[in-house]
This record gives sequence, structure tokens and C-alpha cells, in this order.
Amino acid sequence: MERSPGTTDAGPAARAERLLLPAVAVLVPICLYVVFRTVPTESRMGVVQRIFYFHVPSAFAGFLGVGLCALFSALYLWRRNRRLDLWAHASAEVSVLFFTIVLLTGPIWARPVWGVWWTGEVRLTSTLVLWLLYAGYLVLRSSAESPEQGARFCAILGIVGALDVPIIYYSVTWWRGLHPRVLKVSGGQGLDPGMERALLLCSITFILLCLFLILFRVRVGQLQDDVEALSLAARSSAGPVETA
Amino acid sequence: MILPHVQSLVLLLQEPTTGFTAETVGARPEVVERGLFFLNLAYTTVWVILALYIATLSIRLRRLSRQVARLKERAGL
Repeated sequence: MERSPGTTDAGPAARAERLLLPAVAVLVPICLYVVFRTVPTESRMGVVQRIFYFHVPSAFAGFLGVGLCALFSALYLWRRNRRLDLWAHASAEVSVLFFTIVLLTGPIWARPVWGVWWTGEVRLTSTLVLWLLYAGYLVLRSSAESPEQGARFCAILGIVGALDVPIIYYSVTWWRGLHPRVLKVSGGQGLDPGMERALLLCSITFILLCLFLILFRVRVGQLQDDVEALSLAARSSAGPVETA
Repeated sequence: MILPHVQSLVLLLQEPTTGFTAETVGARPEVVERGLFFLNLAYTTVWVILALYIATLSIRLRRLSRQVARLKERAGL
């Protein structure tokens, strides 16, 4: 169904956004309480290990954004629907946001634990490459000659960039990297059940936050399109108008 | 006299070589303080980034809504 310019979308996306906001608002304080009050302190790293509960969920949220961007990009190349491009753009932007958090909190954890802020470890490098690819996606979109050209090039980059995700995930296994294995520790005991529950709760919260931000960003994109459409209509009927 | 140290060493050796464990240990105060500094830095970074992004989106949304209303008014919609 086509949406008329300037009207609020009353579809499932708007309903989901309205549901996600209170859910996230309730879950975030619960996460903070669980992380700081109930989860046991890790025996060797101490309190600094608690960075893990927001670092790892941010990576999960970033992966979700990348996956959605690739999906909507592929659908856009197939259907050439502006709405799909809007969703791909929003997903890419939100994934850059979450990977920025990952790339900042990771070194903050690494400094006291590894003794260095950054190292050429393969998971770190491949995550930085992914961030650069999607940051490039956003730059490419804003610097394209026409919106259609930008959408087409970005759709291709969005799909190609997603190929880095399995490399990041399996890098620790394939290249025996330094980065701790989060979900399964071979030869060790794995995560403590309390830590596992906290990680699950924080991951759910960050995934919901990621979905909320994508929906919010889509709404902003729709309004931007509306402004452009209305400006164009106003210009064609009554001369130039102020749009800034 | 040496026995407590030997016991500590035995406990250290019993720890798994990989993975996280949940035993709460009485860490040295300076280690805890150092850890708290980095923990505080990380959590501040997370919330500042998220807050800035949400604030930016909210400002853009409000500005665009005003523009749409103005343009619709001009167009007589």
C-alpha cells in the first residue's frame, strides 16, 4: 500500500516500533542490574570482564544489521523498490553504529587484559574491515551522482560486505586467533550459567534495540523522501520554495 | 608458613586454561580499581554513542516533520 507524503505509517513497522521502545526501555535497566549486581566476577580478568556483556551483544546487533542490509539490498536489486533501499540504508547505518561500539569497547577491554589497545589479531582486523566497508557504504551513498546510482552501488556493497561476517565468526578457529571464543570454549568449561543468562538477556536487549533503531531510521528516511517529493511538487507548481 | 602459598598455587594450576570461570576471588584493590576505570570507560562509551545517535535521529525527525508540515501548508494539502 502506498503511503501519502507526511503521514505516519500505521503499518506493522510502526506498530513494531511502538512495541519495541517500551520493551527496550524496560530491558536496559534490567540488563544493567543483572550485569552489575547478579553476575559473578570472572576469576582472572576481574570486573573488566563485564565489558563483555555489552561488547558481544553489540557485535550480535551489528551482525543483524549487516544481515538485514544484505537481504534488503538483494531484494532492492531484484525489485527496485525505494522502500527496500531505505531499509537497507537504515540497517547499514545502525550496523555501523553497533560495530563502532564493538571497536571501541574491544580495545578498552584489551588494554588491561592483553596489555595493548590494538593488535593485528585476525578477528579484530576483519571486524575493522567490516566497519570500513559499511562506513564506505554510507559515504558512497552520500557522494553518488544520483540517488538511483547510489542505491545500486550500495546494494552491491551491502551484499559483498556481508561476506566478511563468516570470516569474523570463524576467524578464531581458522587462524587460531587470540580473541576469546564467546559461544563455545574447547578444552575449557565454557561460560558459567549465570554469565550465559546475562549474555542472553543483553543480547536480546541489544537485538531489540537494533531493530528499534532501524525502524526509527526508516521513519526518518521516509520523511526525508516526503520532503523531497513535496518540494518537487511545490517547485513544479508554484516556483522555488525554501526546503532547508 | 609456605603451605598457604602452595595451596594458592595448586588452586591456580587447577584453573582451566581457556574460557571464563565464575569463581569470585578477592582481587587486589589496585587491580579492581584499574578494572573499574576501564569498565566505566567502556560503559560510558556505549551509552554516549547510543544517546548521541538517538538524539541525532530525533532532531532530524522533528526538523523533517516541521518541513513536511510547512510544505503541505504551502501546497494547500
